[in-house]
Amino acid sequence: MTSTDTTTSTSTTVPADIAQWLAGRVASYLDTDAATIDLDLPLAEYGLDSVYALSLCGDIEDTLGLVVEPTLAWDYPTVNAMAEFLQAEIA
Amino acid sequence: MTRLEERFGDPYNADNPFGHRTILDADERSTVAEGAEAVLDEFGLNAEFVPEALGGRLVEVDELVRRLRPVFRRDASLGLGYGVTSLMAGLNVWLGGSDVQRKWLADLLLGGGKASVGYHELDRGNDLTNNEFAATRTEDGLVLDGRKEVINNAARADAAVLFARTGGKGGGRDHSLLLVDLHQLDGGTFRRLPRYRTLGLRGVGLSGFEFTGCAVPDSALVGDLGQGSDIALRSFQVSRCVMAGTGLGILDAGLFGVLRFALERRLYGQTVAELPHARATLAGAYADLLTADALVTTATRALHVLPATASAYAAATKLLVPTLLEEAMNALSVVLGARFYLREGDYAGFGKHMRDLPPLGIGHAGGISCQLTLLPQLSRLLRALGDPAPAAVFTAGAALPELDLSRLRLFAPSGDPLLAELAAHGTHPGIAAALAKLTADVAALPARDTGVAASPAALDLTDRYAALLAAASVTGYARHNAVPDGWAELALSRLAERLTPSAALPATHPAAEGALFADLLDRATTGSGFCLDRDPVHRTLAQ
Repeated sequence: MTSTDTTTSTSTTVPADIAQWLAGRVASYLDTDAATIDLDLPLAEYGLDSVYALSLCGDIEDTLGLVVEPTLAWDYPTVNAMAEFLQAEIA
Repeated sequence: MTRLEERFGDPYNADNPFGHRTILDADERSTVAEGAEAVLDEFGLNAEFVPEALGGRLVEVDELVRRLRPVFRRDASLGLGYGVTSLMAGLNVWLGGSDVQRKWLADLLLGGGKASVGYHELDRGNDLTNNEFAATRTEDGLVLDGRKEVINNAARADAAVLFARTGGKGGGRDHSLLLVDLHQLDGGTFRRLPRYRTLGLRGVGLSGFEFTGCAVPDSALVGDLGQGSDIALRSFQVSRCVMAGTGLGILDAGLFGVLRFALERRLYGQTVAELPHARATLAGAYADLLTADALVTTATRALHVLPATASAYAAATKLLVPTLLEEAMNALSVVLGARFYLREGDYAGFGKHMRDLPPLGIGHAGGISCQLTLLPQLSRLLRALGDPAPAAVFTAGAALPELDLSRLRLFAPSGDPLLAELAAHGTHPGIAAALAKLTADVAALPARDTGVAASPAALDLTDRYAALLAAASVTGYARHNAVPDGWAELALSRLAERLTPSAALPATHPAAEGALFADLLDRATTGSGFCLDRDPVHRTLAQ
């Protein structure tokens, strides 16, 4: 159900480890350390609501050059699931 | 003159069966004028809600808003009660339904049937993701439990689109939309709730549904299981614009009523209209009506031209337009004086229009809910200036690309094309300063302050964004169309004052106000409406 458009953004440097990068973003919303984020735990369990899904979409567009909808966070609720999907989109 | 305008006739003609008197009498009895719905049946108003591909007349959303205006000028209860909610239900099905569902609902509406839209539960308000009405999957279908409350036409609808909880994982896939044939439900497990009494929109039949283990087939699902929020958030973009647009007819009628009074009534040896305060109030309300129309027109056209950013424009429109209209009606009520408070006489219609406006603001999506749609998007919209919007967004009558609901997005990309209009073509210094200030304030807003726990200061950013979009709409519309002299100047000055209230009295614009008042008077005497399209209307000043 989730779809993406690839945009050609010249200024983006794709992080080598997308899961670690996502965990860092999530940690910054929660004001905590990336090491405390369980990559296989649904983000909703951290109290991340739909608003953070929107912020995450923005970060993904800026850093990975992918235009995604907030439905991404609904369909891939954990950091690892999301990273796997994004990795496939970039490849 | 449109057929509906012709058919409903002059509201001030005492013999008109659809005149103010009949409408007010009906409103006192919590109903609409007898025969008025038959006029809409005869006109086939429902066809306006059905896409052309399915046999209806829905092509361009801004045209739809204009076609509803003659109805809302007379009686908002008639317009809403007859079936704007059928459109709200329909949009979900046009977007997410199967071919069978689309054809079934299209045929039902084209045959004069009614569809209710069941999102609302009294205990949950706009907090849709915590809705409790549930659909449970069984081996051979779905079982419905719970209530939907304050639902238009629930007592008589043939079909309903229902927003139901179908999961409990958290996140946006916990809800689904169902299209239900209400005549096929088991009377033992489904009932229609009694009517609610309301302050305004008294003629609208608001009631509800109660389900207690009511079985429906799997084929009731609109789209996939869990796709409810996704579909709803896209179809809301259209219905938010349309709901805001219906309010234009109310202020148009209210402004005419007060102008009529001001020209007729003599005080201190002159007519009220000759008093500078009254004249400035009338010109100001007229300017704000045109401003609201510019935003509605731009947002509805953006659904076709700029679908990626339409979620922000629709939310801003539903946020600002009802506020602008209500404030203008409040200002006008002062000119009407004591008559504003009377429920009888020639000007009692004004009080009814005023009662009917607030529910249009609350209904569907309240202001806060629109603010929460906008807030998390602001940092991206304002980060960089996008390419300025194409002229088709502003140019009345220019061909529009087909409305493709699947191209509407939930989250706008970087760079706002409408705000770019302000940068590209220059604007009032107060507007330019407010845009710079908003850009800086949004850049400093932390992500954690963009959700439901946002501070009042953060929510204020969304009000400022909406006012700037209105300024961009005024600027763009005035660049591409013939507009009344003085409007753009006065409109931008009033928006700048809204954005940054000054301690001193607001600057006056006697030339612009004078020109606008003259135009208002000219329209009133030549049978033209007060919206941007200057449509022919049936209404007369006092002899």
